[in-house]
Amino acid sequence: MQGDSYPENPFELFGPVIRWVEEYLERDTRPLALELELLYLNTSSIRAMMEIFDLLESAHGRGRAVGVNWYYDRNNERVAELAEEFKEDCTFPFAILAR
Amino acid sequence: MRKDHADLEARIEALLGDAAYSGHPLREALDSLWQYTSQQLTRLERVSHVSDEFQAMARERELGLIERYDRQVGRMSRAARISDLYQKMLQDLNRTLREASYRDPLTGLFNRRLLMDRLKEESLRAQRSGHGYVLALLDLDDFKGVNDAHGHDAGDRVLVETAGIMRGAMRDYDLCGRWGGEEFLVLLPDTRYAEGYEVLARVLAAIRQHPVRYGDRFLSVTASVGLAVYANGENYTDTLKRADRALYVAKRQGRDRLVDESELS
Repeated sequence: MQGDSYPENPFELFGPVIRWVEEYLERDTRPLALELELLYLNTSSIRAMMEIFDLLESAHGRGRAVGVNWYYDRNNERVAELAEEFKEDCTFPFAILAR
Repeated sequence: MRKDHADLEARIEALLGDAAYSGHPLREALDSLWQYTSQQLTRLERVSHVSDEFQAMARERELGLIERYDRQVGRMSRAARISDLYQKMLQDLNRTLREASYRDPLTGLFNRRLLMDRLKEESLRAQRSGHGYVLALLDLDDFKGVNDAHGHDAGDRVLVETAGIMRGAMRDYDLCGRWGGEEFLVLLPDTRYAEGYEVLARVLAAIRQHPVRYGDRFLSVTASVGLAVYANGENYTDTLKRADRALYVAKRQGRDRLVDESELS
């Protein structure tokens, strides 16, 4: 996922994404790697991302291979700080990488 | 109490079991009473058991609710904190963009957009207060010659240096910007002609006295200035036109000089 996110209806946008992650983690056994390059997120998008990370966290707790790579522009360190905030409660591999 | 109960139970069981009392009307009555009592007891026990079950279940559910509630509150406050950080980031980004939108990237001076806004503002202020402003257009002499002889990097160097010299020679509240190419605009708010003339003469002298170092060379730079005073009530574009014509006269008279609108024929 990449870009800015401030959807008018966050459930319409993130609902299917969250469902997909949920179902994939339940039905499949293959690893899941999330590639993110997110800039601006509004509050509902933040909630949605937290929900996705929660799903990854519990899958990680069950021994599933999951991970996040969050890329940011090295000219915008603020994005890295925000990614750190998301990472705080995650015990699965969560890399914050400058581009 | 338990002990008493057990004793009573044993005594009654013994009496009811004793063949000696069989047929006695009190034995029958006691037997009925005893059966009734134990039935009631069973019922009571069942009721209290069910009630206990309910209590345990309710407590468990309550605990679950509290836990879930706490988790949601925790998530919400984290989301709010992250959201605040995003807002802060946008705010800073806005400030940077605003700053960039009114600065000339090469010299760091204000750009034409900001100068136009300030000219409008200052004109309105002058109309209200009756105190006019002095407007000057400053153009570097033979800038094309510098570019041709030493390249565009040298030209850029001259522009940057001149911008610094101009800023240093002016008062804090004077406004200086890049009007375009090698042309600068100077706006001296709440200033009379004589004062304005003095400031611009100082600027010209400073430019003349500070050759610009480029590599191991020193490039001497001069500039010409056209100066006009805002006439109360007029549109700033008219002031600008007079300054521009004065600048043209300065160039025609041989450059490196200051011409004001009174010299316009």
